[in-house]
Order: sequence, then C-alpha cells, then structure tokens
Amino acid sequence: MRMKRRKRKVSILVPIVSMGDIAFLLIIFFMLASNFVKEAHVEVEKAHSPDIEKMTESKVSVKVDRDGAVWLQGEPCPVELLESGVQALVEGLEDKTVMLTIDKDLSHELYGDVMLELSKAGAEIALVGIKEEE
Amino acid sequence: MSKDSLSADRMKARREERRVAGIDVTSFSDIAFLLIVFFILATTFEKVAGNRMEIPSGAPETSEAKQKQLTINIRDEQILYGEKNRKVSMEELRMELAKEKLTERNDEMRMVILECSKTVRYERYYQVVMAITNAGGILALVDYEESK
Repeated sequence: MRMKRRKRKVSILVPIVSMGDIAFLLIIFFMLASNFVKEAHVEVEKAHSPDIEKMTESKVSVKVDRDGAVWLQGEPCPVELLESGVQALVEGLEDKTVMLTIDKDLSHELYGDVMLELSKAGAEIALVGIKEEE
Repeated sequence: MSKDSLSADRMKARREERRVAGIDVTSFSDIAFLLIVFFILATTFEKVAGNRMEIPSGAPETSEAKQKQLTINIRDEQILYGEKNRKVSMEELRMELAKEKLTERNDEMRMVILECSKTVRYERYYQVVMAITNAGGILALVDYEESK
C-alpha cells in the first residue's frame, strides 16, 4: 500500500516590522523636499522662450490668469493693492524676488500695469515660462 | 489564613508588578502610509524655469547714455529694432543684441528701451524680454501709447 505523502505546509512570512520606520522616513523626505501646490486653482498657460534657464523658486508668487485676474500667493488681489501686498510680503526677506507668471495670450493692456506695480513695490521680478527647445 | 493561599496571593502580586504599560503601534505604519499618500498628492517637484528681469534704478541718466540707448518696439507680432525701426525676426533680434555686447558696458549703457503697444500678446513680449535679459540688457519699460 502506498503511503500518501503529506505535503509540507510552508507559510511565507514577509517581515514588515521595519515598514513603519521606512514610511516615517519617507514622510520626512517628502516634507523637506517638496513645495506645496497653493495655486493649483489658478489656470495660467505659460509663455515659451528658448532664452530661459531653470531657476530656484522664491517665496512670493504673482499670477495673472487668462481673464486678466491677478492672484497674489493664490489669493485674488486687485491691481491697485498689488504694490502694498507685495511690499508687505517681501519686507524682511533676503530674497525679494517675485515669481511672475502671466497667461501667454493676455494683451499688454492687462499685464502692463501688473509689471509696473511690482517694480514700484521694490521687488525683483522673475518671469516664469517654459523653456522652448530650438 | 492558610500557607497555600498566602503564596498564591504573593504570586499574583508579582505577576501584576511585571505588567508593562505598552502603546499599541500596530496602526502606526498605516497612518504613515496615509501621510505619504497625502504628501505625494499635495506637493509638486516641478522645477521652475525663467529669468530675472533687470529694471533700471531711479538714478538720472546722462545725455550721452540717452543717445546710445537701444530702442526696441513691439507692435502686435512685429519687432522693430533701433532708431530706424527696422523690422526684425526673433533670431535677428538675438543676433543684433549679441553684436551690441551689452555685458561689457556699464549699467547706464546697458539700458534697452522697450516700447510696447497695448495689443501685444504676452508670449511675444516674453520672448523679447528674455532675449534682452539673456544678452545682458537692463529693461526700461515704456508704454507705446505714452511714448507717442
């Protein structure tokens, strides 16, 4: 009589003891290495130019959307209040650069005043765009 | 009290002493992964591209500098270069600006006057401004309507 061989039950165990540690390390990495998206709701189509380089992001940001509405740090801001608003934000900052992003199809009538107000506020303007390969 | 019941009480007391207060950390990794998902969704790693614009200081300019300042005019999609308002393409503009060797000049002489009509699209304006900045020019902004 043949004896039926008993199959050995092998339980596969994945060691997950260190998973928590790894997860917390990843959290710390993300906290240090990331910038929060404050202005995701502002729709701006960036202008293209081959004459630009990658640059470090500054703390103050101004965006002008396709309707000509001005957004300071993700909040709507009338052009008349832009100078005082930017002044208050750059005051005490070592880097007084303001990142200015304007919709590519906007006419000068709408963005000209924004640039003027920013220069009056004593801020250094950095025009943001997309690098175009020639 | 019997001897047996006394030793049993002692044993019980010892057992209670050994009990260590422990925090349940089973769900810690779940919380951590939830936080990671949050950070991944709420952050951006996009690198910003652009250029810093140099704007002139309020210092008065000399007449010699005024004479030698470059003028660029943007009317709709057209770029007009120099005093004679010669029509140039973007490529020609870059070449003309390179010929001027603006980086070798002092601040006053690096000034480029940019006149712009109100209908100019931002993308055209942006390309011209970036070309001037890249060539080492300092921008003086003038509205076309004002300059007329």
